[in-house]
Amino acid sequence: MNRIAKTVLSVLPVMVLLCGSPDVRGEEQLNYRLKWLYNASVVGDIYALDHGFFAKAGLTVNVKEGGPERDAIRELELGHAQFGVASADQVIRAIEKGSPVVVIAQLFQINPLMWIYRSGSLNIKSLKDLRGKIIGITYGGNDENIMLTLLSQANISDGDYTPFSVRYDLTPFYQKKTDLWPCYLNSQGVILKQKLAKEGESVAFFNPADYGVRFVANSVVTSRQMLKERPAVVESFIGALMAAWEASLLPANEPKAMETLLKYDKNTAADIQLLQLEATRVLIKPSPEIRVGAIDMDAWKQTEAIMLKQKQIRKAVSVEKALYPLQ
Amino acid sequence: MLLRRIYQFLIIYALGTALLFLLKYALGLSDYVIPGPWDLLLSFKQFSRHYLSQVMNTLAVAVIGQIASILMAFFVGIVGRQATWFGSFIKVAAYNVQAYPIVAIAPIIFILIGDGILTRLLIAAMICYFPLLLSVLGAMSEPVADIEHFYRVTGRMRWQLEVKIRAFENLHKLTTVISGSATLAMAGTIVAEFIAADAGIGYSIRIALYQGDLAKILIALFLIGIILSVYQGALEAAGSAVKSGWSKGEEVYSE
Repeated sequence: MNRIAKTVLSVLPVMVLLCGSPDVRGEEQLNYRLKWLYNASVVGDIYALDHGFFAKAGLTVNVKEGGPERDAIRELELGHAQFGVASADQVIRAIEKGSPVVVIAQLFQINPLMWIYRSGSLNIKSLKDLRGKIIGITYGGNDENIMLTLLSQANISDGDYTPFSVRYDLTPFYQKKTDLWPCYLNSQGVILKQKLAKEGESVAFFNPADYGVRFVANSVVTSRQMLKERPAVVESFIGALMAAWEASLLPANEPKAMETLLKYDKNTAADIQLLQLEATRVLIKPSPEIRVGAIDMDAWKQTEAIMLKQKQIRKAVSVEKALYPLQ
Repeated sequence: MLLRRIYQFLIIYALGTALLFLLKYALGLSDYVIPGPWDLLLSFKQFSRHYLSQVMNTLAVAVIGQIASILMAFFVGIVGRQATWFGSFIKVAAYNVQAYPIVAIAPIIFILIGDGILTRLLIAAMICYFPLLLSVLGAMSEPVADIEHFYRVTGRMRWQLEVKIRAFENLHKLTTVISGSATLAMAGTIVAEFIAADAGIGYSIRIALYQGDLAKILIALFLIGIILSVYQGALEAAGSAVKSGWSKGEEVYSE
């Protein structure tokens, strides 16, 4: 018994060291926390994993699904992840609270957050057309900031429109209780469009960017410490990731991208995923000359200004100081 | 009893917050991950009044939901105390409904009754009612053999007397369950507000989560805890009063 105890005690520290070490085989395991679940919005991220982009760069990356309770920035600070995806408002709030987060690539060049409406009964050609409408708003969400900015631009005051508190459930829009409903163009937007088409209804999307409001959406983030102490790893990671995004969005690679999507997202029908992929392509790479991952400084500054005006942050944070375009 | 509940809650909250602060400073975390004392104080100053009104709003719905649940549970428990098939049917229904995630049922509730106060009440009652019902059903369907036998053989047994005997025999259990169901009613209402309302502290917590603001959430938890402690303390005091009243009645009856 004594011998067994001695053996266990002598082996235990080594086991603990091996288990605690991020790299047992000499390779480093990097964690990359996504913002949301596996779907077309993260096609480049899972494409990088599935088609060996990270491996070719000499990296072992664990691409982890996100979700409503996941916060990549918190995980960076706690050391649970080395890279992550966060929305611009998360980044700006985190900087205000002293978080050492930095942005190394901006995934969406166009924010997928738009408002869907029935184009048969409504025609929005200018911001003034929002007057008198019932508008879905997720209180506390990005869309609240964006819509309030748009309404303020159009001098539409509180009594000139009816806000409708939005939750995750789409029933009120199906029941025509609202005129406009916020949704992500490349995910819910595709599904809503298809469902209403089956009922013989046509839809259109109200895009805030068309009216000058360019609120930044998801970006790739890491910690300032990681950028400072391990720039080579950060460069390799972002290089591999952006190359994968470029490749996944090439029309020629569509079958391969679909194969990856179907492998990771088993809950969405293939025809819907194809439409979601097409919609995502336009949002990530709106034109051939725009590089995937390019950071739109002006849009970031505008996002911060909107949040400051809407009192979502208490003081200016100079967000541009946290933007590090690496490519 | 009330004071004890409050200071016990304050000790728990203080310990929890202290642990968070310890983690924050030991690991050098920013206010975004765990808010500092100053951030917490600032948020308290800014939002406590609004949050308190929201907690009271939630409590009002929870109390109505709890009263409705208690009445319904006693009604169904008394009616179903002898019918074996009905009793087992209710139990199966209760276990099933409790197993369903409320977020999956919520869209059906929205379609049926919209998303106002009725939805909050219904979801609160769904979470609070079935555990209550199972306890009441358990208490009411358990014969108190020796006492009931006496009344049966003397031909004086009526259903009201049977219910009274069983309730008295299980009085401690029933008052504990009723007091405990306050927590369930509050939790049910908060869940309902989180997914299906535009008022109440659950709704405010949802917004704070969207904003990733842990300071606001800690303030909401503090206010929920303190108000719930007061409410539960009041319920316990009422339960003790009922028990001592019944005991006195029993003594007089024995004499």
